[in-house]
Amino acid sequence: MQRREFFKKMGSVVAVSAVIPMMSFAEEAKKLVGPNEFSYEKALNIITSGKGATASPKVTLKAPEIAENGAVVPVTVEVESPMTESDYVKTIHIFATKNNNSRCISVHLTPANAKAMFSARIKLGSTQDVVALIEMSDGSFLSAAQSVKVTIGGCG
Amino acid sequence: MKIATKIALSLALLCSLSFGGEQFSMSDADRAMYAEMLENNPADLMVANGERLLADLGGSEALAKYLGMSEDTLPEYIAGFPRYMEKFKMVVGLDQVLQGMMHDAGKKPYKLKSPEMFDMLAFTKSLANDVKINIDVNANKHMKDAYALGQKTFDTKRGGRGLSCLSCHAPAVIGLILRTQPLPDLAVQNSGGTWPAYRMTKSSLTTLQHRFQGCMDNALLKVIPLGSPEMVALEVYVTEKSKGQAIAIPGLKR
Amino acid sequence: MENQSLIKIKPKKYANGEVVNVSFMVMHPMETGMRKDKKTGEIVPAQYINSVKFEYKGKVITTMNVWESLSANPVFTTYMKIDGEGELRVTYTENTGAVSQTSMKITPKG
Repeated sequence: MQRREFFKKMGSVVAVSAVIPMMSFAEEAKKLVGPNEFSYEKALNIITSGKGATASPKVTLKAPEIAENGAVVPVTVEVESPMTESDYVKTIHIFATKNNNSRCISVHLTPANAKAMFSARIKLGSTQDVVALIEMSDGSFLSAAQSVKVTIGGCG
Repeated sequence: MKIATKIALSLALLCSLSFGGEQFSMSDADRAMYAEMLENNPADLMVANGERLLADLGGSEALAKYLGMSEDTLPEYIAGFPRYMEKFKMVVGLDQVLQGMMHDAGKKPYKLKSPEMFDMLAFTKSLANDVKINIDVNANKHMKDAYALGQKTFDTKRGGRGLSCLSCHAPAVIGLILRTQPLPDLAVQNSGGTWPAYRMTKSSLTTLQHRFQGCMDNALLKVIPLGSPEMVALEVYVTEKSKGQAIAIPGLKR
Repeated sequence: MENQSLIKIKPKKYANGEVVNVSFMVMHPMETGMRKDKKTGEIVPAQYINSVKFEYKGKVITTMNVWESLSANPVFTTYMKIDGEGELRVTYTENTGAVSQTSMKITPKG
């Protein structure tokens, strides 16, 4: 019974993945229980086809140096770009390098966004580097990183 | 292990504890990033839900009517809660007013601890956003009594460890580090004007009274029920500390 | 049950050609599949949003692949250029296969 439901869910996941033509990762077999492991190195390798990325001052990554609560860490990424048809930011990837699944989000932009900026809140399991990996329309890869120290404490 | 080494070790540990606070607490720039999150507070979703729930009861118009106010005077009135109401013959919080309103409309009131009530309370209080807290603890005997009871509840040491609210919130200990967090000044924090708030550690909307319960639970004090005279009095006492500060609902807390 | 969601545009009033801040927020637990239920001791199955799509006037402007590392009750904030009246539609899917949608009308002033 449980097993059947599990496969039913798996089936629907595959179906949806097929409908959305934007997966940058080939292997998306989702586990419903247990760590969904995916290292930062592996992801970087797949996305950049082994080329890696260049740290660039064009990329601004804003995150707190110390987060008093790993469950909600605000992250903002801004990339200097004219956002025209010929020169725009294609994707902003955000990684939590030491999370079991290092991938947080990949945001695929278009010139219609007019501004290459994205923000969200992420969960960090421990003190680690947060990395913004940027895919430009010319195929180059830029990056920026920041270390975030996660403290656990407080009352309640 | 030699005694001298033991002493040296424990001294080292002590030092790391006392200096530990500095390196663990956030900088002003970090705090500013969290303050920016108020712009897109996840609790906006809960407040929107509260708006729908109150709309089922006739919305702010019906609430104003229930309280004998006009829609123009309602925000100022909301900014004075908890207050004594002749109708209930006691000092009540806004959530209890909403219960009364539901009851009079022939509906089963939401429980004070239900998420629905939290949402509806947050929306109702947000009607008074930007209005300064105008609680009057000298308005009448009931309010004076409630304030006194609130202070007593705040100061009384209870539970297995003999702790009171005052143990961590006395002026003398503000700013000291407890479990890596600086102890807050409830007045500066505008506790009266920023709850209900989104608790990031809980990923949910919480009310001031419910936060008090969390404090009590963690400090091993028997939890005082929501809406009880002591609990409402505690809200009166803490809200008075924020008198004159503007209401900004929903708040955002660690 | 449909999760509650909200689209916010800042500033509230905007003109044609203006670049505005767009936020999409949704009530969602973003379960990682690693958390244990405190009462039952059983692992709570993973349930998280795995994709978000923004469409404006029928044209896809932003898509996102999302994983469980995003905080509960997530907020996604990007920018877009106002280009006439039309619908802004946000569609999101979950790892469980559920698909949800919300939309708002874009009406530039002046």
